[in-house]
Amino acid sequence: MNRFINSVMNMNISGITLTAIILTLTFAITTHADDCFTVNGETIDANSNTRPFVCFQHDAHNEKAGLESCDRCHHSYDDQGKLIEGESSEDKSCSECHAGNVGSQKSFDSNRLNIDLAAKYHKLCRDCHITEKKGPVVCGECHKR
Amino acid sequence: MHSYYSFVTGPLAWIAFIVFICGSIWRFNSLWQLTKKKDSAVFEYMDRKFALRSIAHWLIPFGSRSMQLNPAMTVATFLFHICLFITPIFVFGHVMLWKENFNISWFALPNMAADVMTFIVIGSCIFFLWRRIKLPHVKYLTTPLDFIILMIVAAPFMTGFWAYHQFPGFVSMTIIHIVSGEIMLMAIPFTKLFHMFLFPFTRGYIGSEFGGVRMAKDW
Ligand code: HEC
Ligand code: HEC
Ligand code: HEC
Ligand code: HEC
Repeated sequence: MNRFINSVMNMNISGITLTAIILTLTFAITTHADDCFTVNGETIDANSNTRPFVCFQHDAHNEKAGLESCDRCHHSYDDQGKLIEGESSEDKSCSECHAGNVGSQKSFDSNRLNIDLAAKYHKLCRDCHITEKKGPVVCGECHKR
Repeated sequence: MHSYYSFVTGPLAWIAFIVFICGSIWRFNSLWQLTKKKDSAVFEYMDRKFALRSIAHWLIPFGSRSMQLNPAMTVATFLFHICLFITPIFVFGHVMLWKENFNISWFALPNMAADVMTFIVIGSCIFFLWRRIKLPHVKYLTTPLDFIILMIVAAPFMTGFWAYHQFPGFVSMTIIHIVSGEIMLMAIPFTKLFHMFLFPFTRGYIGSEFGGVRMAKDW
């Protein structure tokens, strides 16, 4: 919301000073949020950046949600595509298995790779929140502006 | 909140799709039967050439005399109808949901473009509202239902804009957004919104009658 108001105000009132102030503020806010674990920021940042990054506080989240077993998210599958219970894969990032060739990604319309990976995150995260009836489900609750 | 979300994205969404599809088939069929019974001459007059000629003229901006006489209305209706269809199909958030739920995806609009097109739809609805209240010849034909239909059409766009920009209460607004879209879908077969399917037939018939019987242009 702030961003929207800001961009509207920018048009009217003395542009440069206001923009400078906003930029400083935005910078201060983003750098301050240092305990956010940006999920796969690197892989996706280079691409579309269609929504604000999700602030996923890994350890705090899992503690609060009572998730003790790591393989609930960091799962492993065998060659037949069957889930291996009790084996985890936290040494790998999701994109290593779910994004294919990262090099050619540009945007959603020219390449489906990003949307594939994003959909995997959504499936894992949102589906659990829905079944548990706890945690964010609406886009803006995770992709906070 | 979670149970509402599950309900409106689950059972209610399916109900909306089924009512939309089955309702449209039913409406088509009942209009067809009625025409056959009451005015079967319609089928004899129908002429492919004259029908397509008329439809083409009315689909081209300023292709008819009535459009030339009302330039403001012409610009508003064309922009309105284009944005009304393009925005919901290609807005990014919806493409994402198609991907997640049905594993298909297509081109997505830049967020800025979706905002502009949303504004065009809402702005046109305000213009149509103004016409219905202020212009005597439009007011004369207006019933309360027309205002309700305008609201049904504008609501998904206003709530969607709200949800996307995360204005206060956007979580509940997202649920209202989903419901409002479902209401619009379900309203199509039973209101004059059905003209989205009927247009080629009504226009085609008028074109046929004017072309084949009265030997005149209907644009
Ligand atoms: C709610 C799901 C979830 C659970 C449960 C979970 N993780 Fe993670 N973890 C993630 C996500 C998502 C990432 C980011 C992966 C990426 O960047 O591709 C991640 C990243 C990591 C990383 C990489 C950190 C880095 O800096 O690159 C480690 C290590 C890790 N998790 C360990 C664990 C361990 C150990 C557990 C069990 C105690 C655990 N995780 C449980 C979701 C989870
Ligand atoms: C070692 C490789 C590997 C890693 C790392 C991995 N996955 Fe998977 N994942 C798989 C395989 C294999 C499947 C099953 C086949 C499939 O559905 O793609 C799967 C399935 C899934 C599914 C269900 C597929 C569906 O469409 O229903 C989701 C969701 C998912 N992974 C998300 C994640 C997320 C999020 C991470 C990071 C925390 C992650 N995966 C890490 C290999 C991996
Ligand atoms: C296995 C279930 C599960 C998975 C998988 C999961 N979550 Fe959660 N999450 C929860 C639960 C349960 C809560 C509610 C915790 C509470 O408030 O008690 C929650 C809460 C949250 C919250 C709100 C935290 C707060 O402080 O209120 C965020 C943000 C969140 N999850 C993000 C994510 C993201 C991002 C992922 C995917 C990487 C994810 N979650 C995967 C179960 C899960
Ligand atoms: C439960 C939390 C959650 C919800 C709800 C959620 N997302 Fe995400 N989304 C994520 C996570 C985690 C990622 C991984 C990348 C990141 O951190 O931005 C992601 C990635 C994305 C990406 C790719 C990154 C980018 O900015 O290009 C897009 C686009 C996206 N989500 C759109 C949406 C849309 C649209 C919705 C609502 C329909 C939505 N998300 C709902 C958690 C969520």
